[in-house]
Amino acid sequence: MIPLPRNPLKLARVATAILFFAGLTIAFVDFREFSPARLGHVLAHAQFVPGLLSLLIGGMGTVIFLVGIVVTLAIGRIYCSAICPLGILQDAITRIGKWIPRKKRFLPFAKPQTALRHVFLWSTVAAMAAGWGGFALALLDPYSNFGRIVSMLARPVLTFANNSIVGLANAAGIQSLYRVTPAWAGAGALLLPALFLTVIAIMSALRGRLYCNTICPVGTALGLISRFSAFRIAIDKAACTKCGDCLRSCKAQCIDLRSGTIDASRCVACYNCVGVCEHHGIGYRFSWKKNPTSAIPAPAAPAVNRTINDPQRRAFLASIAGSVAATSVILTKARAALPAEEATPALVRSGEASRAICPPGSRSVDQFLDQCTSCHLCISACPTHVLQPALFEYGLEGLLKPRMDYRSAFCLFECTRCIEVCPDDALSLPDLATKQVTQIGVADFHQSRCVVEVNGTDCAACSEHCPTKAITTKPYRENLRLPSLDQSLCVGCGACEYACPVKPTKAILVTGRRQHGHAQKLVEKKATSPAQTGDFPF
Amino acid sequence: MKTRRDFVKTTLALGATFSLVDFSGLFAAEPPTPATGLSTETGPKPILVAVRDGDRVTMLDKALAELGGIQAFVKPGQTVVIKPNIGWNSTPERGANTHPSIVGHLTALCLAAGAKSVSVFDNTCDQWQKTYEISGIEKAAKDAGAIVVNGKDETLYRETPIPQGVILKSAKVHSLVLDSDVFINVPVLKHHSSTQMTAAMKNLMGVIWNRDFYHNKGLDQCIADLLTLRKPALNIIDAYHPMVRNGPRGKTVDDVVEMRTLLASTDIVAVDAAAAKLLGHVPADIKHVKIAHDMKLGRMDLENLDVRRHKLA
Repeated sequence: MIPLPRNPLKLARVATAILFFAGLTIAFVDFREFSPARLGHVLAHAQFVPGLLSLLIGGMGTVIFLVGIVVTLAIGRIYCSAICPLGILQDAITRIGKWIPRKKRFLPFAKPQTALRHVFLWSTVAAMAAGWGGFALALLDPYSNFGRIVSMLARPVLTFANNSIVGLANAAGIQSLYRVTPAWAGAGALLLPALFLTVIAIMSALRGRLYCNTICPVGTALGLISRFSAFRIAIDKAACTKCGDCLRSCKAQCIDLRSGTIDASRCVACYNCVGVCEHHGIGYRFSWKKNPTSAIPAPAAPAVNRTINDPQRRAFLASIAGSVAATSVILTKARAALPAEEATPALVRSGEASRAICPPGSRSVDQFLDQCTSCHLCISACPTHVLQPALFEYGLEGLLKPRMDYRSAFCLFECTRCIEVCPDDALSLPDLATKQVTQIGVADFHQSRCVVEVNGTDCAACSEHCPTKAITTKPYRENLRLPSLDQSLCVGCGACEYACPVKPTKAILVTGRRQHGHAQKLVEKKATSPAQTGDFPF
Repeated sequence: MKTRRDFVKTTLALGATFSLVDFSGLFAAEPPTPATGLSTETGPKPILVAVRDGDRVTMLDKALAELGGIQAFVKPGQTVVIKPNIGWNSTPERGANTHPSIVGHLTALCLAAGAKSVSVFDNTCDQWQKTYEISGIEKAAKDAGAIVVNGKDETLYRETPIPQGVILKSAKVHSLVLDSDVFINVPVLKHHSSTQMTAAMKNLMGVIWNRDFYHNKGLDQCIADLLTLRKPALNIIDAYHPMVRNGPRGKTVDDVVEMRTLLASTDIVAVDAAAAKLLGHVPADIKHVKIAHDMKLGRMDLENLDVRRHKLA
């Protein structure tokens, strides 16, 4: 039993953390759609990177993001301990890691990895400037990494567990359980979250919040702000007995007892130390006073002579310059070298075809790749599983971004769930009616492969499934009906392609549009009765 | 409540599914009511009931009364499977699915007649949970006491030989259809872009796992072939407002025409022949109806049947 924290600060932090962690976990593993679309959407909206992207385009999340910045400036990196699900996951792993027997029972103070932190942060910034923001953020955003771990790894495992007890449950009279096809992503796509989870697990089991304070660009960015927070966790030297209790409870290795200082840029505001100090010698102190009368020193690294000759500072500046320059050069070259459509010339149709089909509400492939951080909330929420993580279908830039996979399923005409959950403004449309005329791709009918042509038997599976009646049938040969396609009515939902029974290459295939278009809507008068009315025709 | 027998059945079904296809025959018991009642010219004339101008529930009651009541089909202690058309994620007024009131009422009648259990399922075309919900059938069936079963669970289907099939020699058939004592088919009448019409016979594509085989190898023949495995004891066609164009999915409520009709018969070919006429077709023009008639799986020659017509208004 984990004891309830007595300290009110820590209690509030833990309660918030549980709310975000549990809520987001449910949203990402929910294979039965028990939770409303709002749950994931709202909790994900409070995340740093979705908020930042929203700010950059003046979207809905701007206000929440700015509030987050102000809060950090006021009381430090509470995002990392209370809101970021990856941070909370690491805390859980650290807790489990304590069961591993080892010599040292606690993590001592460690020097900050300033240079490394800034390499990751400024590489990300440079990537954003070079137009590779979507790619860099998808790799490094902690929230999105958490989402992918739960969506791609935990969710199918849980589905599998559910399926293994369905038989027994049904036999026992519990009919509310049923089997759900586990949504495993392709092996290539699975590799990334698996690798990331391994890294995170090792780092957090051995060194607490090392990832957050070394690699995570969000941690570093918030650390830059929290160095100057109005209220910082600080040690009251008058009360401190140097017992070391705070040190033992610190997962960020940022308490330096020797100098009696706390590195505010690395402190994740978990309040563990505040709770354990029996002498009330550690807590929030207002730190914007010009001449501190108390013995509380300034933030970050203690009183070091900060001149240009300071080697740490020099390393820091060099790392920024170096990473910005290197990233820009690499990414600009990569972008020039990898135009997705030139790799597949067969699909180039008036320069706007896309090998990967991006979901409705994304407006265009380019905009989608910029705005989406691949958190996979939409992939988890998609009831048909037509949304699947891309490997290289969008090119390297679109690694793990959701794409429409018409081999797996097709897009349900009456559904907007992906748009409802998306926290990034990457998917956004005003309403269902707009979605139903949004052309994300266009079908092409290949009569030479069609069952009706090849076998001389009826089929029309494509036409059956078409929600807009872009595909109808017309009389053909002797008493047959051949599919007939009107591309102007096609929304590219993929129902026809999915339903087509021809293998291996289907007789009807949807090509994605780089820039989404507008489909015509066929309006018909009320149907009339084909037979006599009022009496039996037999 | 489930009994030990049900548990054994479920376990056998699972075992059969997980075993190699070749072994499935060992587990798959012969259907309790095999394809009997092959109508021949010498046998008694099958009854076809056609009711007009009432609400669905009243018309269903009238049709059943004409066929000897539900107790003529369901005996106390029997397990019943009802197969409505739950193909599409669309609301009842669009006419793409069987109306929920018919499924609900039929469930209640079966249970009142002493049925041990009533199960309802379909291998939907659209995403199944949504479709079960939006069609209104899940709620209506559950409220009436039915067990609503996932039709998208491959482990519930068993590979079953169909020796009399011309093309369809074997298929993965839903275990409820193979194992239930009573099999009732409750389709909705609709236009269909390929077969021109979908009613009772075509509705049974929803008890098969792999529909691609039908589409690849000859839709109409496969539809008829399946009937040689097991024919429903009773077929009830909801033709209250048939979808007369853009079928089988339909686009809007404008695709339906109000006919306020319900058809019922033990002869699946006969109900489909009558349904064809409602849509303005000659029965023999609907290929699967013609094939089934020629295979003597039922009769499309309505003039030689015992047709009972009722106008309720």
